[in-house]
Order: sequence, then structure tokens, then C-alpha cells
Amino acid sequence: MAFNFRDLSFTRQILPVIAVLGLVIAVFFILSGQPDRELSEPDREPPRAPEALANEARVAGSGVVEPSSEVVQVGSALSGLVTGLFVEPGDRVSEGQTLFTVDARQARAQLREAEAAVREAQAAIAEARSAQATASSQLALYRNVSDPAAVSRSEVIRAEGEASAAAERLRLASARYEAAQARAASARTEIGRLTITAPIAGEILAVNIRKGEYVSTMGGGGAQPFIEMGQTQPMHVRIDIDEEQAPRLALGEPATVSPRGAAGQQVKATFVRAEPLVVPKRSLTNSAAERVDVRVLQVIYELPASATGDGGIFRVGQQVDAYIPAKKGQ
Amino acid sequence: MIWIAIRMLTGDPQKFFGLVFGIAFSTLLITQQLTIFVNLLERGASGVYNVSSADVWVMDPVSRTTDVAYAMPSTALDKVRGVPGVEWAVPHIRANASVRTKDGDLEGVAVIGVDDATLIGLPKNMIEGSVDVLSQPDSVIIDDVGTTRMFPDASPIGERLELNDQRAVIRGIADAIPSFTSTVVLYTKYSNALNFVPGTRNRLSFVLVGKADGLTSQELVDRIEAETGLRARTREQFARDGVDFIIENTGIPLNFGITVALGFIVGVAIVGLTFSLFIRDNIKQFGALKAIGVTNGTIRKMVAAQAGLVGLIGYGLGVLGTVGFIYAFSANPTFKGFYIPWQIPLISLVAVTLILALTGWLALRNVLKTEPASVFR
Repeated sequence: MAFNFRDLSFTRQILPVIAVLGLVIAVFFILSGQPDRELSEPDREPPRAPEALANEARVAGSGVVEPSSEVVQVGSALSGLVTGLFVEPGDRVSEGQTLFTVDARQARAQLREAEAAVREAQAAIAEARSAQATASSQLALYRNVSDPAAVSRSEVIRAEGEASAAAERLRLASARYEAAQARAASARTEIGRLTITAPIAGEILAVNIRKGEYVSTMGGGGAQPFIEMGQTQPMHVRIDIDEEQAPRLALGEPATVSPRGAAGQQVKATFVRAEPLVVPKRSLTNSAAERVDVRVLQVIYELPASATGDGGIFRVGQQVDAYIPAKKGQ
Repeated sequence: MIWIAIRMLTGDPQKFFGLVFGIAFSTLLITQQLTIFVNLLERGASGVYNVSSADVWVMDPVSRTTDVAYAMPSTALDKVRGVPGVEWAVPHIRANASVRTKDGDLEGVAVIGVDDATLIGLPKNMIEGSVDVLSQPDSVIIDDVGTTRMFPDASPIGERLELNDQRAVIRGIADAIPSFTSTVVLYTKYSNALNFVPGTRNRLSFVLVGKADGLTSQELVDRIEAETGLRARTREQFARDGVDFIIENTGIPLNFGITVALGFIVGVAIVGLTFSLFIRDNIKQFGALKAIGVTNGTIRKMVAAQAGLVGLIGYGLGVLGTVGFIYAFSANPTFKGFYIPWQIPLISLVAVTLILALTGWLALRNVLKTEPASVFR
């Protein structure tokens, strides 16, 4: 068996070494190439149940922050151009404070017209009075003549007629005066209605009109409200609870509420009331033909004053996550 | 004595290389095909593995996998949150949509909506951009394999798409394992996803749950199922469901099973034939060895050493070939995320051992029967 030296070393030494090296490389490659399937903690804090409820029976719900008065969408009784706007979003207003005014020129013109009519009626009354005075003194004169032959019978009748006509004219003028005054009062009411005032004390949340814009009377389905306001001291949250979960809910217990995006900042909210009406869940799917088969019980909680206001984390309309204890033994 | 066996083995390079080739080839075939098989199957679980922080997935009782899911009403999230032991729960939407590209082409995409506030449900790593881009309006993050399919030459960042008549702007690329069908995936916020996907009444596909400390995922799954009536799966179970779905609904296991069997048969045939030919050729030498008093046990050891060397070299080269194959194709989007599970080389090692043991035993029978005198005939 004569073998070439080079062949020998290749098959007997080099090849096994290559194979072993290959195996080592393969082991390294395989071990380093295993997929990363480690579980990791989420980067941002998700809403978690409060520690007291972590292993207790509880009910979770989501909801929206709202003013304690709910949102008042201020409307206008009359339509017209906005001529004055006296509030900005964030302003606190007292009840009866003027929010905005609608063009009152026409109503003012009517008022002036009515006032002119009042003055005219006053003049007419004066004129009627003097005519009546003249007529009645004339009649008195004829009546005082003792000699019947001195005054013809027809003269007396004419004087009597003039006196009663003058009295009628005075009554007519008075009636016209009253009518003109009523017209002036109605014009003033109209002017008053063109000034829109705050129905309650509270905070202005949104102003959707500007000077010069035309406001029409409310009721045009889906139109933006002109001004939204509400009492934000205190603030409430309206929590939706799935109707299947509703019987488990311990009504009256405080809820732990955190705003979306700041799940770490949980506050205790005190129970206010549960709405007596169970309503369909509002899901914002933007679908034209929304069909709903989930109904929710709405429960209202009051947020602590420290969490609301300028430095607070809760704002009206914000979505929140809430955890509420369930009834014991459920 | 062992050294003589090795010299005997390498004495005939043709047969030696034939043996090595046979082993290397069947190792390559078995390892490589099993690797691709396993990775293809695991594509069914990629949707689960891409979400790195959820311990438990909650879904409608009829949902089967990440892609075959029936949507739940949105209050299901609150139901799950109400279960003790649930540390946190976030909504997750998975839906298919059609996207219109700038060129006017229509492409089917999967839209995945992740929780708005926490972005739980996004893949762990980003290739370009950060996850914060989702806070910009109409943002979507595309997956890297989808990028190569939809934008083969250019960067997709800043591209505008039309989804359900809505504008969507690509602002990031995520590093994600593609799904079985390699659909383009667009990640976006839950609230955006509701707009992007033409909708039915219920939209919530999954609730992702993190468990509280002190209980196992399985306990939490049982608890959620008992309290909410929904179906809950641990991460591993749900990944397994995805794999099972592919096994049940495709011919992949059969096809790859046949290839692996072929690899085994080819190995047995080539190695068996060559080995027995080699032993038969050397039967005189074995006879001579016997004649000088070498026992059957030593001869067994010699043949085992020969088989061992052939096995080592062949197996080494075969595994190296598989590694080289996976490495060479790792840049190809089709093979994105492919890896060699450590069990597979062990399986092929067992197969190689079996092949060699079988053929060695067959060949040895002749040797052991050889009379020392045969050398003189």
C-alpha cells in the first residue's frame, strides 16, 4: 500500500480538522442565531390595577372626563351676524354674563320706529285732549244759554257730537300710544334676545364662532355648537361599564382613575351617581350605519380638585381608564 | 490498530470520498430541509413572537390564530381588565386591508393597530425611525419585508399610501419576522387602524395581557376564561396554534417529510453500498489481521473507527453546508429570521449515526464470518 504523502495528510488530517472546525463554527452560528423570544417589559406604562385591587375582584371601565354640569352647548335664540364676542376658551364666567351678541341693528331700528310712534301717539293724545277741551267748552257754552231761541237745536247737536268725537279721538290716541309702547317693548326684548348670556356659572370650554360669522338658530342637526361651557369645579368622569359586568359593581366605592397616556398617575375619584338609563356603548368607528349590541351602565365619579384645574392632569373630554372594586364575594 | 483502520479507509480515496459525500449529502439534506421546514412552520407563529411583552392573548372563542380571528366588542377589554391577576391589558387589532400605492397599484396589507398610549404590540426593534413617529397624524410603520415588496428600490420613509380613502404616511421601518404569507404589514395606532380598515361593528381582534407577579400564565388563562367567557392562550400556546394551523391546512409537513425521508434513503443507499463494497474489498486485509490473531472485538472497533471518521467528516461538512446556506440567504427577505434550531443538527446526527450503524453492521457481518484462512485462498 503505497500512498502519496500529500493525499494521506489531506484525508487523514486536514479533512477531519476542517470537519471539526466546521462543527465548531456551526455550533457557534446555531447558538448565536437562536431567535430572540424573551418577554420584555413594555416601554411605556400601561394602565394597571391599583395595588389594593391587584388580586381582588374588580370591574374595569373606560370613560370620559366631563364638567360636573355636563357640557352646556350654548345656543342662540335668533339668527344673525355675530357683532361682539366677549369670552375666550378657559375664561370663567358668572351666570348672566354676556357671551356674545348678534347683530341688533334691525331690532334697534324697529325700536326707534316704535319710539317715534310713541312720541307720535303722545302728540296725538295732546292734540285730542285740546280738541276735546275745545269741544267740551263749546258744548258747555251752548248748554249754559237759557234762552232756547238764542241757539238753534242743530247747533247744540253738532257741539255734542264734536265733544263725543273728541273723547273718542282721545281714546284712540291713547290706544295707539299703548300699541306703540308695546311695540317698543317687544323691540327691546328682541334686542335682549340678541345678547347671549351664560346660563350657569362655569368655564368656557370651546368657542366655535368668531365676529362676523353668521349664526343660525340651533337645531340644524350635527352643527357645531357656538360656545361650549360647563362647571369644571368639580370635574366628573363618566365611566362606561359593560352591562354584563354591571351587577358585580360595588356602587358607592371610590374608583381609581388614570388618564390615557399617563397611566402611572392614578387618582381616587369619589362616587356621585349611576345613571338610571343603560345606554348603547358609543364606539367611535366612524361608520355611517353604526349597529350596537353592547350596552353600558354609566357611572359618574367626582375627581379630586388637585387633579383638575390648571395644574391637573385631567381635562374635559379626555379618555380615562378606571378600576372599581367589585362586590365582595363575587 | 485503529490507525491501520484509518489508513485502510483512506487508502482508496474514491471510496473514501464517496462515503464522505454520502454522509455529507444526507446530513445536508436532512438538516437543511428540516431547518426550512421548521422555520416555515414557525412563520405561523411570527405574529405572536413579534409582540414581545404580552404573556397572554385573549380572543373571541372562535378565533384560531393571529390571522384567523373574529373581532370582539370593545368592552371585552374592560372585562379582561376586571380579572384579578391581570396586571395590564391593552387592545390589539389585526385586519386585512387593501392599500393603493402612489402608482395606483393595489396591494393587500395587514394592518396591526397597537394601543394608542403604550404602543404595546409593536415589534421589539426598529430598523429605521423610532416608535414615537406613531404620535404624528396618519403615521404607519411598515415591516422590513414589506418594504422590499412594496418599495423594492427606494426608501419607503415619507411615502404616502391610501388606505380606505384615508391618507397614511410611512414614517418608520420595523424589524419583524414576516408572516407565513409574507403579507406587507403596516403598524399603526389602534385609533388610526379603525379608520384604515373598512369596518364592521366589532373591531377588537385581541386583548394583550400582562400577568401580575405570583401566578403562572396558565393560571391566568384559566381565570380569564372562567370569568369572561373569552378564549385565552398563553404566548407559547398561541404560537403553537399558529404552527398547528399551517400543519393542518397546508401540505408542507408531507412535502418536507418526504424530502427528509429521501435524504435518509439516499444516505443509506450511497453509504451502505460504498461501505459494504469497501469492506468487501478489504476482506483480505481483515482476514490477514485475523490470521495474526486480531480478535473480532478489535475488528469491530476498527470498523467503528472507520465509520466514526467518515461520520465526523461527512456530518461536519454537511452541517457546515447548512450553516453556509442559511448564512448566504440570510439577507434574502424570503429567509428573513430563519435560524437553525439546535435540535435539528442533533436529529441529523442521530440519523447519520443510524445510517453508519446500519451499514457498518451489514458490512461487518461478512468480515466476522471471514475465516483467517481465506487470506491464503
